[in-house]
Amino acid sequence: MIDIRISNCNKNYGSLRVLKDINLEIERGEFIVLLGPSGCGKSTLLHIVAGLDRLSSGAIEIGGRDVTDVEPKDRDIAMVFQSYALYPTMSVRSNMEFGLRMRGKPMAEIRPLVEEKARMLHIDHLLDRRPSQLSGGQRQRVAIGRALVRDPKVFLFDEPLSNLDAKLRASMRTEIKKLHQSLGTTAIYVTHDQLEAMTLATRMVVMKAGEIQQVGKPEEVYHRPVNLFVADFLGNPGMNFMKGHLRVDGNRVSADVGAATIPLDGYAFETAPANGQAVVVGLRPESIQPVTGSEAFVLTLKPTLIEHTGSDNLVVLAMGGEEIVGKFPTDMLPKLGEPVTVGFDLGRLSVFDAQTERRI
Amino acid sequence: MRRFLQRHVSQIALSPSLALIAIFLYGFIAYTAAVSTTNSKAFPRFDNFVGLEQYWRLFHTPRWHVAFTNMFLFGGLFLLVTISLGLVIAILIDQRIRAESFFRSIVMYPMAMSFVVTGIIWQWLLNPTLGIEVMVHQLGFTSFRLDWLTNPDTVIWALVVAAFWQGCGLVMALFLAGLRGIDEDIWKAAAVDGIPAWRVYVFIVIPMLAPVFLTVVVLLSLSIVRAFDLVVALTNGGPGVSSDLPSVFMFDMAFRRTNLGLSAASAVVMLCTVLAILIPYLYAETRERA
Repeated sequence: MIDIRISNCNKNYGSLRVLKDINLEIERGEFIVLLGPSGCGKSTLLHIVAGLDRLSSGAIEIGGRDVTDVEPKDRDIAMVFQSYALYPTMSVRSNMEFGLRMRGKPMAEIRPLVEEKARMLHIDHLLDRRPSQLSGGQRQRVAIGRALVRDPKVFLFDEPLSNLDAKLRASMRTEIKKLHQSLGTTAIYVTHDQLEAMTLATRMVVMKAGEIQQVGKPEEVYHRPVNLFVADFLGNPGMNFMKGHLRVDGNRVSADVGAATIPLDGYAFETAPANGQAVVVGLRPESIQPVTGSEAFVLTLKPTLIEHTGSDNLVVLAMGGEEIVGKFPTDMLPKLGEPVTVGFDLGRLSVFDAQTERRI
Repeated sequence: MRRFLQRHVSQIALSPSLALIAIFLYGFIAYTAAVSTTNSKAFPRFDNFVGLEQYWRLFHTPRWHVAFTNMFLFGGLFLLVTISLGLVIAILIDQRIRAESFFRSIVMYPMAMSFVVTGIIWQWLLNPTLGIEVMVHQLGFTSFRLDWLTNPDTVIWALVVAAFWQGCGLVMALFLAGLRGIDEDIWKAAAVDGIPAWRVYVFIVIPMLAPVFLTVVVLLSLSIVRAFDLVVALTNGGPGVSSDLPSVFMFDMAFRRTNLGLSAASAVVMLCTVLAILIPYLYAETRERA
């Protein structure tokens, strides 16, 4: 059942087109993450769903109802902001109660509800404090609590974890995920942090310059990016790109990338490959590993730089005139300048047309 | 020598102004306090110590009571009118209106004028024979009366209106800066929560402006105690002494009635009034920072 439908949505500020013809359908219970670099329009899209921004053309439906011209308060949504946006002169309890009180819910119902949600978020001991007396993580919990008590049809998150430090961010991320699993409420979550996107999303939407690039399950977007932008934007360290040309010889297809010829026999082409077609072959660092013996394709390359990340070693390898990065386990530490044999996991290859930058 | 200079350069740089302040501010405050314990007439003389007699006389002078009461009456009304209307104007200007800087300038312009000019402008406007009253009469409303300047019971309103006209710009600017400093997300959160705008102002935004209120109250209070030129230009204390303020009283005693001792006593009482306002404020400020 479709909970949110965004159809042909455009947003212009003067001549600047912030959103270009966005179409998106969100099923009930999905956790959709909008991901993209700053200025890609992801926050604008969220604000439009919330009703805080008007769209220039198009329509928004929530729960089967056209809400394009409906006020935010009547859209049955709740929103969590990056800056928390707590009411600083009110106690935590009043912050959580205020929205419900404005809706005319009797206090006898509000009280237990607020206390229940506060317990759920482990902020029940903070109810009588002011926001200024709380830490960043606690404030964000209160902000989430304020959204929870409303029991909305849709949760909207606008980069809620960006102001927290790395460790807190990771634990809050887990909590948001648990929360979604137990509540099952539809959620839209905006972030520029790909780790948040990968871990939280049931489906993610990658955006660039006001356009949707790819919509799909996180692993699908990660492993089968539809274009160079998505391939490059996701993953840390980024995907290795090798420029070259296709060689089609009867049924056999391979990519000549200068230093090597990579066989593409097992590659599922989406469009028919043409002999001599300029391509970019992409492979993620974790698919370039020291040889264990069973690999179909191996190369002997010289390491030029090694970065220790703790959990593994990033090894920069010279390949022709270019450099590629492999992710080696910590117990496989090559020596600088001494050639190592690495295996390429050809099942993880992505091939893009060099002109259109699209996956082929 | 070099090291001495390096270590003490800040003290050396500040010492001339500290010396000047010590002499011309605190020195003369002490001097005034000393004069208030003498029976000085036209010139200060210290051979005639009378103790607190001048204070006793001061508080038994009906004119001083009028002036002192007026200060609180004028002050209270001025604070109330200026703060409430200044806030309302700031809120109106904050509504992302067109030509915002135009309206801002209009409200701010009177601030650029001296109180003497303000006083004279309003004296003309409120003058029953050539100001607003005449204008309304010419429009045909001949029963209209605007006798604030000539009626001892309402003359205080003339002062309030003129002072408001002058002070509103500053108050509006301070409140506007405060309103602009409020996180946009608070408004968005309130919109999603379904809180009507006036309730956001009353329950969330105005409480958030508490520090601005404090600043405004202190600034305006000091200008109330100091108010002198406005009264001199607008009413000259009249009719009779009905619009007298302590500063006018003090000036009059010192330079027209040659009663320097009494004048000095009134100055000391005014200083105490200012301190009574200022000390709690400074206390709150320093505690906030600690």
